[in-house]
Amino acid sequence: MKEPSDMRVLPSTPVERFRLYGVFFFFLAGFLYVIGGLVYRQLIQSTDLKEQSDTQSRRVVLRPPARGRIYDRNGFPLVDNRARWSVKADLASLQKEFRSEYLRMLAAEKAREAVSIDREKLLEDARVRVLQGWLNKVWFVIDETNRNTKVRKPLTKLTPVTAPVERQINILELRKHLRERRALPFTLVNDLAFPGTGQALTADDGTKSVARFIEQFPVEGPIRLEQDIVRTYPYGAMAAHVLGYVKDTDTLPDNVDDISEVRVETMQKLRYTGKTGAAGVELSYNNVLSGRSGWELWSKTSSGYNQTRLKYSEPEQGGNVMLSLDYRIQQATESGLAKLKDLQGNLLPAAAVMIDVHTGEILALASQPSFDPNRLADRVSSKYYDLIEESGGWLNRATQGLYPPGSTFKVITATAGMRKKVVDWDDSLDCGAFFKVGNRDYPEHEPVGFGEVNLDKMLAVSCNVWNYQVGIRTGIEALAAEAKRFGLDTPLLQTVSDFETGGQPMTELPYAASRGLVVPDREYKLRIGAGAWNDGDTANLSIGQGYLLTTPLHMACVAASIARGETRTAPSIIHSLERNGRHPGALPIGLNPEQLASLRGGMLRCVEEGTARVARIPGLPYAGKTGTSEYFKNGEKAHLAWMIGYAPADYPVVAFAVLVEGQTDTNTWGGKTAGPVAKEMLETWWPIAVKANLDDKPKVPR
Amino acid sequence: MDQNRQGARASYVALSVFVALWILAPSAVRRFNREAFVEFQAPALNLLGKSRDMATFWEKKSRSVEEMAAAGRDLARINAALEIQINKFEDIRRENVRLREITRYNVPAEYMSVVARVATRDSSSWWQRIVIRKGRNDGIRPGAPVVFGNTVVGRVTAVHLTTSEVDLVTSPGFRCTAYLEGDDQNHIVLVNGVASNSLGTTKARVSVIPRDYSMPAGQPARVFTTGMGGVFPSRLMLGYLDGGTYATQVGNFKESLLVPSRDLYNLQEVSVLVPLHQNPGEALMQGDQFQ
Amino acid sequence: MGWAWLFLLLATYPWLLGADLASDTLASSSLIFFVSGTCLVAPCRRLKRWQAVLFAACLGFLFEARRPIPDGTLALSLVAIAIFLSSNRQLIRNTPSMLRVAAIVNVSACLIWFLASSYGSPSPATNLAGQLFLQLLLSCVVGTLSLIPIALTQNAVLDRLNVPPAPDTP
Repeated sequence: MKEPSDMRVLPSTPVERFRLYGVFFFFLAGFLYVIGGLVYRQLIQSTDLKEQSDTQSRRVVLRPPARGRIYDRNGFPLVDNRARWSVKADLASLQKEFRSEYLRMLAAEKAREAVSIDREKLLEDARVRVLQGWLNKVWFVIDETNRNTKVRKPLTKLTPVTAPVERQINILELRKHLRERRALPFTLVNDLAFPGTGQALTADDGTKSVARFIEQFPVEGPIRLEQDIVRTYPYGAMAAHVLGYVKDTDTLPDNVDDISEVRVETMQKLRYTGKTGAAGVELSYNNVLSGRSGWELWSKTSSGYNQTRLKYSEPEQGGNVMLSLDYRIQQATESGLAKLKDLQGNLLPAAAVMIDVHTGEILALASQPSFDPNRLADRVSSKYYDLIEESGGWLNRATQGLYPPGSTFKVITATAGMRKKVVDWDDSLDCGAFFKVGNRDYPEHEPVGFGEVNLDKMLAVSCNVWNYQVGIRTGIEALAAEAKRFGLDTPLLQTVSDFETGGQPMTELPYAASRGLVVPDREYKLRIGAGAWNDGDTANLSIGQGYLLTTPLHMACVAASIARGETRTAPSIIHSLERNGRHPGALPIGLNPEQLASLRGGMLRCVEEGTARVARIPGLPYAGKTGTSEYFKNGEKAHLAWMIGYAPADYPVVAFAVLVEGQTDTNTWGGKTAGPVAKEMLETWWPIAVKANLDDKPKVPR
Repeated sequence: MDQNRQGARASYVALSVFVALWILAPSAVRRFNREAFVEFQAPALNLLGKSRDMATFWEKKSRSVEEMAAAGRDLARINAALEIQINKFEDIRRENVRLREITRYNVPAEYMSVVARVATRDSSSWWQRIVIRKGRNDGIRPGAPVVFGNTVVGRVTAVHLTTSEVDLVTSPGFRCTAYLEGDDQNHIVLVNGVASNSLGTTKARVSVIPRDYSMPAGQPARVFTTGMGGVFPSRLMLGYLDGGTYATQVGNFKESLLVPSRDLYNLQEVSVLVPLHQNPGEALMQGDQFQ
Repeated sequence: MGWAWLFLLLATYPWLLGADLASDTLASSSLIFFVSGTCLVAPCRRLKRWQAVLFAACLGFLFEARRPIPDGTLALSLVAIAIFLSSNRQLIRNTPSMLRVAAIVNVSACLIWFLASSYGSPSPATNLAGQLFLQLLLSCVVGTLSLIPIALTQNAVLDRLNVPPAPDTP
């Protein structure tokens, strides 16, 4: 069978023979090219980049870290980070679609015999159309109304003009994106869990639309899913003034200097968008919470795309902060405040504080109106910003709001009087309908007066005339000194901590009133140019009116101090097990046991049968003092409702203060307006405390 | 032999022309062509599956009577136990229905279960899929989840007349949401098939794990479906987090690998959960609303 | 005989099915037994060119049908190979050269399939080089080893169909 090759029927020239080898070598070359390319890339990825560093240009990308969490005293997260899922369109792989849409539109224009065709405009329209088509598909999948229904809205009806803003491609944003960040994918839906900025979705609904997108949207194609971290406040507006919020920052993080490669590069090229605290604990503990930024060093192709990650360091999450707040009491406090409304149904501005008598830790601190930090965490709409501005929601009324304390100040007047020995606990003073100082009548709030009034009754009925008499007898010097002894002129929440600040003094809550606190005296009145001090001013001061300005937190501390029989309470918003109940600057109150017992007894009577009796809680005797002070709102007289106190009456554990800003047309009255809030706070706190006592030894042995 | 050379040249030219036509032809032509070849093969695949069943049958047939009797006894016991459970579940189901009616709770996606035999498996570096012996004729629709017991096998990607292709959990075309065992806050994580290592076991990637998640001690953490996405029912098992490679940090999240809880390549039978109502994703897949 | 290519295809199909079945056992390693290239070698010696072309196209489409790669990639490449082989029959004139050509053709067709599927996949595979190397090695070995039985089957069918033998039967 075997024949010599040159005898074959079919021709076989040497050229033909080489053709096979040619094909062989062709495929071999292709094969080697693929293998070689892969090996080459592998080597680049694994070997160090030393030899390349000179020739290739590089780019540093900073990766912002996740901020630390903020917990309440029981470890419930009040501020957390959640994964944000965003939907992006890869413009490079959409190029073909843009092109064909553009050609289609161009053909249509030509068919219409349009006079002049603006090609730029047409191309832009084509881009918008294609992206809008994809956005419609995304919405089609995540829209809850499309779920499990046989009859579905046709897709075309979901689109423009009447569609909500978040369902339309924003042309301005697209233009900006194409101008500045052409290489990056374009964001279609910024946050899948909360796709519509104005849409109130529950967290569960949010998770659902993320899951629906993940499971139902085609995996392949130009639409991508990306994740990053966004700050979340699970309880919404709760404790917003304490927690604060975060804002964007482009300040480079401190650790950038650690990256030797960065210093080689020009620093201006480094773009960074991280988050920084803008208010509340987010601001004051920013350096604890913010963590360390991560970075990546990329080699760059000539066209500017990132190519290979050469070196990187992962971001480090910031430290956590445990607040002294108890979220249950905080919630109750805020729900109590939320019931206060004016005649138009708007929320009354108000504040409430509850602190631990022993340690000074703040259990609840609420200010109304408030804001939802979730809506400020990302892309703040100026509309929402203005809304908060207009309502006065930025102000933390509990720590920054300055108000005359009204009748709640009478406990200090009484203490000053007894210490000056101008009155004793069992002295009865004759109190009529008014008290004449100079040639002016200072009125009682009860038209017929109270008759014989001792300390106990004065506190229960909040008798003004008793205080005018005692105040004037005590004198302005002693009265002002007593107020200062209770710390009414001292800013609160100032701590010195090595851990957070390296020994620098800091304020636990930003702007906690450090200016504006006024304990008036002769010198003060002269300084502000209001003339010489007179007895009328003293009478005003004795009932907490006039020039005196303080904050609800200060008054809660006064209540706590009286509960402990001391003069000062140093509150804190941070939970610590190391607090020993010693408060810097605190002195014994300086009253004898009978005087102190009578003072406390009067406050108990105030709740049991006096001005605060609407806030009485059966089974929980507690001490309180109400106040109604006058202030001017837009030039008209309005009332502030106050209530301070501590509970339980015989072994105090917590102290509180409530303040409500009445409007000119509202009937605002100390006990009646502020009392129910205090009641709600205590009613929530009491079962928690009882349970804690059952679980544990009593918190404050006395 | 110039003629031969010329003929070859003409053939090459014809081929080039055909290639050009092929590219320019509407996609329906190519789709039809593909479908035709699939349907051509369908009987053979069916036969393949049947012969495999037959082999199993004869293998069983060759066992001794004693062995079979023992197996039958074991099965009877398991059946008895299961029957009790079925009764219990029936009670729970009724109560569930009642509660849903009272609360007017949104009824979750309902499914029709279609049991299908596996005809053949097919895998490469880029996909892992199985072909099952049920198709459009049996009511199977693309996008339907495929399970075995309470384990997720994958999702239907293509449906033909009598066969369907199923992307396995470890296939890159597979994507779903999941809960991790030991995460009491129920963060959703992303499960995504990855292309496999050669000769290694195929795995899927679990990403977007919260940074402070730690696996329960002493046991591999199980991964469950969420039931949120409207495709998979809830609490189906996807697999275990890979105990060998501890989750690595990627940005502000962690990542780990998912080991499927069953050997997906040794399945003989699966059930396809065909949703009773079409979900938007399915409509999108078919593209009927967008043409 | 005009329909020879179709009968030949039917006769060859069990081999393709067999390869699929064998691949099944390798499923967890992501490798497959690829024989489509090998199946093309023997028919190109005896069939007319147009018949070989049709045969090659169907061979390719059968393989592609269940695999997500761009339509026609493999089929049209096989057609090109078929045209080349049937125009240069001297390259496959005897058994050793057929074996050599089978190895080359099978490896190249496998490479085309591999690249095509990498094109169609959403994400890049890990350890691609190693995988490709293993796959090509396997297809080279399988392509060479399976040539003899496949060619024997195919020749037997062609004999039955009275297709004239190749001028230089090995």
